[in-house]
Amino acid sequence: MKPHGLIGDEWLVSYAAGALSNVHALTIASHVSYQPEMQEKIRAAEAIGGDILCQEETAAISETLLAETLAKLDHHETEQEAAINKEASNTDTDIPSCLRDYLGANLDDLNWKLMGPGMHQVKLATGPEGEKLWLLRARGGTIIPEHDHRGTEMTLVLRGSYHVGSDHYTPGLIEIADADVLNHQPMIDEGEDCICLVVTEAPIKLKSFIGRMVQPFIGL
Amino acid sequence: MAHISSIATDTVTFEELAALVAKKRDKEAFATLFEHFAPRIKSYLMKHGLENGHAEEIAQEVLITFWRKATLFDPQKAKLSTWLFRVARNRMIDLKRKRKYPEVNADDHLAQMVSAERTDRPIEVKQDAKLVASALGILPKNQRKAIELSFFDELSHSQIAEKLSIPLGTVKSRIRIAFNVLRKELGDQG
Repeated sequence: MKPHGLIGDEWLVSYAAGALSNVHALTIASHVSYQPEMQEKIRAAEAIGGDILCQEETAAISETLLAETLAKLDHHETEQEAAINKEASNTDTDIPSCLRDYLGANLDDLNWKLMGPGMHQVKLATGPEGEKLWLLRARGGTIIPEHDHRGTEMTLVLRGSYHVGSDHYTPGLIEIADADVLNHQPMIDEGEDCICLVVTEAPIKLKSFIGRMVQPFIGL
Repeated sequence: MAHISSIATDTVTFEELAALVAKKRDKEAFATLFEHFAPRIKSYLMKHGLENGHAEEIAQEVLITFWRKATLFDPQKAKLSTWLFRVARNRMIDLKRKRKYPEVNADDHLAQMVSAERTDRPIEVKQDAKLVASALGILPKNQRKAIELSFFDELSHSQIAEKLSIPLGTVKSRIRIAFNVLRKELGDQG
């Protein structure tokens, strides 16, 4: 049985290998930021990367490279950490810092666009395989229109919570809805707005007539 | 050209050399590390599509980054090869995608921190590359392939599925199983 709300190890390995698109890498890094055990696994996968690096054949390097490098060291000595001067313009301390760096502005200050009854979105990026990264903000009590998927949909909860059937998703947990998930109908828990980081791999198929009507407008 | 470095790496570990760089700003220790790692990092970068001159330049940059940040390297937490791999990987991705690879910040301490899953023993820091070679060797060929396509070719799960003409679910389970075999293997022997 897969643990509830946690991503599979194959994603951690691909993250460590550098094999994820930035859209997926940001989502996985954000999810893992809540999970110390998974951070440990990523370190293990990176150690495998380091060992693979050690076993690389040795490429010929120019004879002068070492001398040139040594000559550069004194110059770099003074640089220290001065270059690290991030504009931390997102001050939401409740979300992962990789996501804060990426967003650059607080969640509340983003340009939220109405997407449907009780639902707003901010489109963030499109990955190399057409996958879309976006934020969803849904009012407490909202029922997301029932839909099927044509690709995997990943939903990481940042604030608030929702449930699908008996599965409950709270901040830090991720829901993976594979292409074979039919009639997917998440229900936002009563109370505060639920904000999620979502990666949608392929256009989702809305079931209802109304859903199909609004689809072109919400851009999913 | 005369080699500046004369430290024999079979009597001293990379982590000990790294400590000399961090604490004593020891250039001889740095040169020894450079001679070991620069050609390997260059080879890794070339496999990922960087051309010769560029790969060399970035390999140099990775080692200079280590010189600058050596005091931040904690041998209790990671092996030097892991640290250099991470820097090389991030630098390569920055270059190819013109965007920073998102990194997990272990100091986030998010209020909601959940620990839903028990993990096995963390991998031992002192494993060496030969063990990984033999650990990779015990994997069935198809699992090994999935790991190598991830690390060498940066292929996504769906790209691997396409390349090997196998279902996506099979790719995921092969990577998952292989990773857990490697972790156990390396953890037990560490």
